[in-house]
Amino acid sequence: MSASISIKNITKRYDSVTVLDDINLHIEDGEFVVFLGPSGCGKSTLLRMIAGLESITEGSIDIGEKRIDTLPPGQRGVAMVFQSYALYPHMTTRQNMAFGLENVKVAQDEIDRRVNDAAKILEIDHLLDRKPGRLSGGQRQRVAIGRAIVKEPKAFLFDEPLSNLDAALRGRTRLELAQLHQRLGSTMIFVTHDQVEAMTLADRIVIMHNQKIEQIGTPMEIYQYPASRFVAEFVGSPPMSMLPINSIENTPDGVTVEVSGAGKVVTAIVLPPEFNATNAVIGIRAEDTAVVAAEEDGLDLTIKVIERLGDRTLLYGTLIDGTDLIAEDSGRSKVKAGDMVRVSISPQAAHIFDGDGLAYHSQMEV
Amino acid sequence: MKAFNYSPEHLTSNRRLFWIAAVLGVIMMAPVAWIIGLSLKDNAELLRGTEAVFNMPYTLVNYANILESSSVFGWFMNSMIVAVGQTFGVLLLSSLAGYAFARLEFPFRKTLFIIVLFGLAVPEQAVIIARHQMFNWFDLHNTHIGLILPNLSSAFGVFLMTQFFRAIPKEIDEAAMLDNTSTFRIFWKVLLPLTLPAQATLGIFTFLQAWNDYWWPLISATKSDMYTLTIGIASSQTNFAQSEGLGFLGAQAVFASLPVVIVYIFFQRHIVTAVSGGAVK
Repeated sequence: MSASISIKNITKRYDSVTVLDDINLHIEDGEFVVFLGPSGCGKSTLLRMIAGLESITEGSIDIGEKRIDTLPPGQRGVAMVFQSYALYPHMTTRQNMAFGLENVKVAQDEIDRRVNDAAKILEIDHLLDRKPGRLSGGQRQRVAIGRAIVKEPKAFLFDEPLSNLDAALRGRTRLELAQLHQRLGSTMIFVTHDQVEAMTLADRIVIMHNQKIEQIGTPMEIYQYPASRFVAEFVGSPPMSMLPINSIENTPDGVTVEVSGAGKVVTAIVLPPEFNATNAVIGIRAEDTAVVAAEEDGLDLTIKVIERLGDRTLLYGTLIDGTDLIAEDSGRSKVKAGDMVRVSISPQAAHIFDGDGLAYHSQMEV
Repeated sequence: MKAFNYSPEHLTSNRRLFWIAAVLGVIMMAPVAWIIGLSLKDNAELLRGTEAVFNMPYTLVNYANILESSSVFGWFMNSMIVAVGQTFGVLLLSSLAGYAFARLEFPFRKTLFIIVLFGLAVPEQAVIIARHQMFNWFDLHNTHIGLILPNLSSAFGVFLMTQFFRAIPKEIDEAAMLDNTSTFRIFWKVLLPLTLPAQATLGIFTFLQAWNDYWWPLISATKSDMYTLTIGIASSQTNFAQSEGLGFLGAQAVFASLPVVIVYIFFQRHIVTAVSGGAVK
């Protein structure tokens, strides 16, 4: 029943303000795709355009073989779960779930079957006669998902559906959504600004920034090979540290860069001749650093803040020239704020970003 | 919740407030008690002096007379038709207009809404002559329609319903659109039921206002069989008080107040909410 979605040259403008600029994306049948990006990047607008809740200025959207951007929302074959749940407050759970089916004149026994099946899947069968006002946030979210499931749509659209839940419930619901996707095998698009949700749920992540798609890839592709400085800094917690490059020396095995406050770093990155070195930086993730003995090679880091996460310890500090660097130590780290520690970095895991923010990665497997 | 303050100063202050409220309550209730007392006395006895109200015996004969012979029952029915008609009309039109102003896109929407709001500032006195002439042209005086029509365009109602529809999250409409719901069904099945508190408030106020309206029925209903209760009782007071008696007049007044009292008793919660709306939260 599910279908692929093709977004072709979509542009959205409000008067002179461009909200989405020439977006192209193909989502496979049964794929779980997450739109990830900061507030205002246009990810919700794109989802709402697929749903039919926003008009498109240019371009087209197909679901399966059928162009749907000219159809009203109810005839596009999509179901949407809203951040605020948007349940009908005066209707019971059963009525909420059945309402859409009644509108398209589905037979009553078929409505009952679908509602009961969805309620069983979501474990809300004991809540069917309750109104939303008597449900908890998590239960309301399940009802909203149930309302989507009963329609047996070609695609599910989720607009930040976990944002209103507390941390524990968010984690549990996330897991349940992943299980639901496995069970239904439906095409799902999920909008979030939470990278953990994106990394854990997505088959592919679409990173959006400044009204454009910045990168499309699997979670690990995005994490290990960010296409730009923005993606590198946006995905991953803590964010990737960026150290300014003073000079670059090309060698056959990669470039050696001289980094402010860190001396020379030999990398396995091969840069093209047209590389724009102005304002170039080298990017290091915290897990690609290690605290080493004072006599070993490395960077001297003065620790300002320590975050103890149990299994690991994050060290927020500055190098000699004042550049910020986040390093990682073991969970049992004895380092204290104010200490100076020597930190080594793994050159294979380093990334270089040119003055335009374009990324260059090591040719070696990270 | 604020804990009760048991300090002597606070208790003294509370006692003082209680007595002030009690005295004010007695002052307000005295005329009501007086009219009820009059209605329960024989007319002949009251002609000798109204102090008879304080002495036995009491009788229901005045109420029996209303039901048997007086034209009060006809006036009561007129008032009921006008008040109920106006209430349902105002609720329907205000809800439709409120939905349109809050949710639909149409040319001059903002300008029209400002014009509606301007209606709140125009006193009835300013339009009464023009309205009288219009109703005269269309021969609507001395008809129920003539009594109901002028107050159907309620600027307050449109404003109230517009604000209420605006307060409903748009995601509800959007969810309904994705549920393949037509615009009218979204209004009727999804949004209108959510405005019930506002409907109750508006309905109660409209009913009470229509029931107590005096001025327009005085102008429009000139034949006694088209009188509403307010006009009918007032006319009795000036012309027939001496012949029909004070007790009968009191019974008419009590009878006329009954629907209002019933509305207050059953919808007290909504009236309190309406009056204190915006004061809390």
